[in-house]
Amino acid sequence: MFNAGIKSRAGREFFLFVIPAVTGVLFAFYIPFVMSMAYSLTEWNGINSNPAFIGLDNFQALIRDRNFLNASLFTLKYSILFIVLVNVLAVLIALALDRPLKTRTALRAAFFVPYILSLVIVGFIWRFIFMQGFDSLYEQTGWSIFQWSWLGENTLAFLSVLLVSVWQSVGFYIVIYLAGLQSVPADVMEAAVVDGAGPVRRFFGVTLPLLAPSVTIAVFMALTNSIKIFDVILSLTAGGPGGSTVSVSYDIYRDTFQNNLYGYGTAKALVLFFAVMVITVVQLAYFKRREVES
Amino acid sequence: MKRGKIGLALLEMVMIAVALVFLYPMILVLINSFKSFGEVMRNVVALPEKLTVENYVYVWKFIDYPQLFLNNVIITVVGVAGIIALSSLAAYKLSRTKSKLSNILYLACILPMLVPFQSIMITVLKLAKDMGLSDSTWGLGVIYWGFGVPLAVFIYHGFVKGIPRELDESAMIDGASSFRTFGSVILPLLKPVTTTVIIIDVMWIWNDFLLPLLMVNGSQSTKTLTLAAYTFVGQYNTDWQYAMTAMTMAVLPSVIVFMLLQKHIVKGVVAGAVKG
Repeated sequence: MFNAGIKSRAGREFFLFVIPAVTGVLFAFYIPFVMSMAYSLTEWNGINSNPAFIGLDNFQALIRDRNFLNASLFTLKYSILFIVLVNVLAVLIALALDRPLKTRTALRAAFFVPYILSLVIVGFIWRFIFMQGFDSLYEQTGWSIFQWSWLGENTLAFLSVLLVSVWQSVGFYIVIYLAGLQSVPADVMEAAVVDGAGPVRRFFGVTLPLLAPSVTIAVFMALTNSIKIFDVILSLTAGGPGGSTVSVSYDIYRDTFQNNLYGYGTAKALVLFFAVMVITVVQLAYFKRREVES
Repeated sequence: MKRGKIGLALLEMVMIAVALVFLYPMILVLINSFKSFGEVMRNVVALPEKLTVENYVYVWKFIDYPQLFLNNVIITVVGVAGIIALSSLAAYKLSRTKSKLSNILYLACILPMLVPFQSIMITVLKLAKDMGLSDSTWGLGVIYWGFGVPLAVFIYHGFVKGIPRELDESAMIDGASSFRTFGSVILPLLKPVTTTVIIIDVMWIWNDFLLPLLMVNGSQSTKTLTLAAYTFVGQYNTDWQYAMTAMTMAVLPSVIVFMLLQKHIVKGVVAGAVKG
């Protein structure tokens, strides 16, 4: 009797502690997710109208949707290049900042500053630099690189989106790698020096393997961030020129809120959801296995 | 040894040069926010002829800066306070309770970390409208609770494991209720993680764009700083001097806070990433 009393009190307390958070997550993710499943099977042109059930028509249309295909290809290409570029740059800069430089604190802060800015603003800053700033820089230096149409030509616009994203977030990856470099023991490094290993050998033989956990984290973060790229595109290129920089997120946004294809947008969003889930699970499994092996 | 020193000095110079080039776009924005339209058009890289704050006075009034700032503060404070309260309570109990249900609920809480917001945003907006949470700064703050809980529960959960159970038990024996124990024994011990969660979530909510765009973009009185800068630059996309001013004003609070709390912010971001 007494025991049961304690048990039910503990049970009640458990729910009092846990229910608020669970309710929050329920309303933020699980209910919208179930709603998405339902709405993806409808033709629905806005928040207040009545959706009409059309079965799998949205998904069938999606397969033939060239915009969605192009957006997927853009996102894929962008993500791969972003992950590689941001990580390589971050490792290089982190290696430099790990040396006993006098200004290392200030330098670290300098590379981190763009990361605290809102991405939309970052896009606008660079829009200004590409459009106005480069003109003036061309007049001053005469370098033709400043004369190129950075936002007006497909390949260059793609590069612009990539470079601006890297510029904004490289500081974040630098500090992750700097934290990782702290865990490289000095005596292991000294032993490698005594053994006559040059700097490149030392990096690939000692530093990089010990950095493996940081690489896992950084690649994972770079993937999750790049796959949903939206803000920078909205303010930097608005998807242009000619739709060449439209990402999946931007495509969903455009179809849903500008073309009022709510049902169709929901179907696209669901495809994005499952694609991200698969990629994430595969990646986590891959890195888990590799870390155990090494 | 001497060669090493020269090498180091050289590396230092190279890195300083790289950092200056890296920061140059932001410096250009700041410089041009003080110029007149003609000056911006003539030469972007030149310094302003005279220091005036005319642009700032104009933009300040035009976008109603104090109101925007207040909106940002309300959304961020309501959001972060709720996330901390909900997550620390839940993570503590979930970590202390060993049962199947507890494990399932923990997984249910952290799984959404992997879900990109864009993949559910349409129905999130619909649900928020139905519940009357859209078009209000307080409502938007509340909406952030559910989105912030997964990462925060994850970070808290890992930390609570390291707090010895004996502490809760001795407080209970002294007659403290479960909530009392949590409030006066556990919560103070959670302070370092709470700092981490605050830093990550403030940076996220303060700068967030898409969710505010969907929820509070309808009226001038509920806009956030970033939203207002976005609309403003869209309208004034040829008046670069005003656009630069609006952007400087939008990012200035973050930059100042970063300069003051640099160490803590970097540490918090790293801790959040490494544990998340």
